[in-house]
Amino acid sequence: MFNICLIAGLIYFYTNNYSYGIWKMALKEDLKKVIVEGLFLEDIKPEEIKDDELLFGNESLGLDSLDAVELVVQIQKHFGVEIKNIEEGTVAFQSINTLAAFIEERQ
Amino acid sequence: MRIYVKGIGTAGGFGCGVEKLVSALSNGESRTKAVTLGVKGKAEVEAQVFVTDTSALFSFIPKKSLRRINNYSKLALLGASLAIEDSGIKDLDRTRMGIIIASGYGAMNTTFSFLDSVIDEGKDEHASPIHFSNSVHNSAAAHVSILMKIEGPSLTVSQFEMSFPSALLTARRWLEEKRVDSVLLGGVDEFSGVLGYCGQRLFKKDDVSGIKPFEFNKQTAIPGGGAAFFILTRDTDNDSEYCIIEDVSIGKLTTDKISIPEDSYLFIGADGNKISGQKYQHFLNNKNIVAAYSPLYGSFPAAAALDLAVAGVSMKKNRIFASPEYSGLKDGLRIIKEESKINHEKICCLKICDHDEYALIRVSKNNS
Amino acid sequence: MIQGKHIAVSGIECICAAGLNLKDCVDSMFSNIRNVATPSGFSSNHKTVYPVFEIPGSSPFLQNPQIFKTGQLALEAAHGAVKKAGLDKKNLQQKRVGVCIGTTVGSSLNNEKFYQEYRSGKDPDMAPIKRFLRSNPADLIAREYNLSGPCQTIVNACSSGTDAIGIGASWIQAGICDVVIAGGADELCRVTYNGFISLLIVDSSPCRPFDVSRAGLNLGEGAAIFVLESEKSLTERKIAPSAFICGYGSSSDAYHLTAPKPDGAGLKRAITDALEESGVFASDIAFVNAHGTGTENNDRVESMVLDLMLNGVPFHSTKGYTGHTLGASGAIEAAFTSAFLVAGKIPSSIGFSKKDPELHSSPQAENKQIDGNFAISESLAFGGNNSVLVIGRGSEPL
Repeated sequence: MFNICLIAGLIYFYTNNYSYGIWKMALKEDLKKVIVEGLFLEDIKPEEIKDDELLFGNESLGLDSLDAVELVVQIQKHFGVEIKNIEEGTVAFQSINTLAAFIEERQ
Repeated sequence: MRIYVKGIGTAGGFGCGVEKLVSALSNGESRTKAVTLGVKGKAEVEAQVFVTDTSALFSFIPKKSLRRINNYSKLALLGASLAIEDSGIKDLDRTRMGIIIASGYGAMNTTFSFLDSVIDEGKDEHASPIHFSNSVHNSAAAHVSILMKIEGPSLTVSQFEMSFPSALLTARRWLEEKRVDSVLLGGVDEFSGVLGYCGQRLFKKDDVSGIKPFEFNKQTAIPGGGAAFFILTRDTDNDSEYCIIEDVSIGKLTTDKISIPEDSYLFIGADGNKISGQKYQHFLNNKNIVAAYSPLYGSFPAAAALDLAVAGVSMKKNRIFASPEYSGLKDGLRIIKEESKINHEKICCLKICDHDEYALIRVSKNNS
Repeated sequence: MIQGKHIAVSGIECICAAGLNLKDCVDSMFSNIRNVATPSGFSSNHKTVYPVFEIPGSSPFLQNPQIFKTGQLALEAAHGAVKKAGLDKKNLQQKRVGVCIGTTVGSSLNNEKFYQEYRSGKDPDMAPIKRFLRSNPADLIAREYNLSGPCQTIVNACSSGTDAIGIGASWIQAGICDVVIAGGADELCRVTYNGFISLLIVDSSPCRPFDVSRAGLNLGEGAAIFVLESEKSLTERKIAPSAFICGYGSSSDAYHLTAPKPDGAGLKRAITDALEESGVFASDIAFVNAHGTGTENNDRVESMVLDLMLNGVPFHSTKGYTGHTLGASGAIEAAFTSAFLVAGKIPSSIGFSKKDPELHSSPQAENKQIDGNFAISESLAFGGNNSVLVIGRGSEPL
């Protein structure tokens, strides 16, 4: 009985974590799409953006302050999460990972 | 004070660059594109319009640098790049170069993209800052300044049909004052579906194909966009300039006495718009040889810059080009019907607006 | 730059949230009054309300539905300035008169209701389009007085008004015109309200230019018109000038669409050129009316340049009294500068109370007596243009 409960518990735990993992991966993919489309990055594909690479101060992406404020609007529009000022944005926008974590906390 | 046109960059339905303009002038062909004006529904109408392909810009500026830049600014960047290249001036001091851009309507399409961002979901907080900052009229001049590293004063003028002549007046002043040593002066307007729709709602178009600039009682205007940019200088050390701009006069037909020298060609800015078109009739006489080139590039305010480009090109090539369309011209009036060697050393470009404002740009050849 | 003549000003009028004429604006500013409130002329569904400096829509000169509010403001200011100059339609007809006006909204075709209907496939009422076509501010003034000189609407964002006055002055200098009606006009509207908010540079409180806690600008609306006149014309009319436009400098940062260049190179060049044209030294400048919007970037760059080039010269921002009036701001601030020179004092840089340790210099926290015949009014525009006027004191009260 205990073993069944243990196995059931483990299955439940791993399924939820797996679903959560899928959801988080999907969130990151969506974020990359939003960045590429919303910021008019014509020559970069979403999958080329690494999860941990710097979004700003990164020459290969070439994003600047105008992109930052546009990203604030895009995040609001696509994920319903408000960024009240650019200081808050600076923390969230470091990378796809930090942005996903930021959104996750607030959704 | 005389000013010299040292470089010309043009882009329009005829293509990009001075040589494409010359081809269009020589073969008289007007290349329009079919579009639907109005959103699908009652308001839809098929129309021919003049649209410019700006892909030639990528040979001047890397695609990556153009990523947020809209069509209006791309037209300006293309015209500007072509003009600077065309001038061949190697040591152009960009800290002493001014930029003046004339546009009748500015970045129309981006203005509506900005409104889309708000209207789509009815949320003001979705307003796009990229679209907003690119919707301001002076965004084109800003992009030219930033991407081409031009640090002199920057000005954008919007005065409908008087935009370009008015801007030229200020360009001349900047050179006279030695505020700058050269001016990158351009006229640019982009085709906008909304504007085209408004045009056909406000002015019932007569059912003819092509602009008929001399059919003064008909509405034959064809909307479109394009750009013409000039490098203007205060002096010249050789004969490489296109032409000399002797004078720009701006005023009102009702108060000013305008005289066009007998030994000057007269290019009229008649573009198929009936109200202003009729006012050109007074200037058609049996003395001046006339031409109207709008059928090659379209009916939009910045086309006045293209008229000047044609004048410059005519002077440099020593050729005078046939007026592409002259139906409706009264007998006895002199018009350029065939391309030939230029016989006069003066060209006057005349632009008249609906409310009797006029501008006369006097151009001559450098014979010194 | 060639050193130019000082171009006389025979009449100035100004309308903004601080007052419906220049005298009322000046009195209100010296009383440190701020007429800032929730927008009433339009609505918005932002969660936060951003206060604005609005001119009451009930004002008698704003009752013409045929033209934009911007055009009505421009006309009203023009009426006032022309009258103060002792001119009217009849005697203007005898002169060669040009018009040079700066604006942003006045040249914008962006009517939301029209576009919304258009988008949905309907045939919208064309009235908003006709209204736009009728509303070019320079055209309106030229038609009002039946003027026949050159007409130019400058759409240079925040430096439009400054540029219009500088360019108008050059037309007088060149002998192209005897008189130029120059200035700027702009109205508050949803498009610019939403646009600036989207850039995260709008303060949800009354703005605090140069203050350590500054959080952005407030929008405003208004118009100011100068009647610039040639020496010959003024002498013939035996009129004493109310101010002089002594010099104009303008230069581009060539840096970024929305942020000023951190080293302020463009502003430095513009100040240098304006002083050179005027023949006035930095040490002759009694005060500076700064652009001072209250944004992080603008105030930082501007205070750095002022400290470097006009060290010790008192400066203030009047945007705490008017909001940022965009295309009108350069003209409104030039009008204020002219009036303060005659008054011999400047109002406090309202909204400033605590120094920002990161800024090189701070504005006047209190009203201050000033002494001198020259002042500077400067504008830093979106797109990186920097424009500066050196204004000279006139002999006539304003």
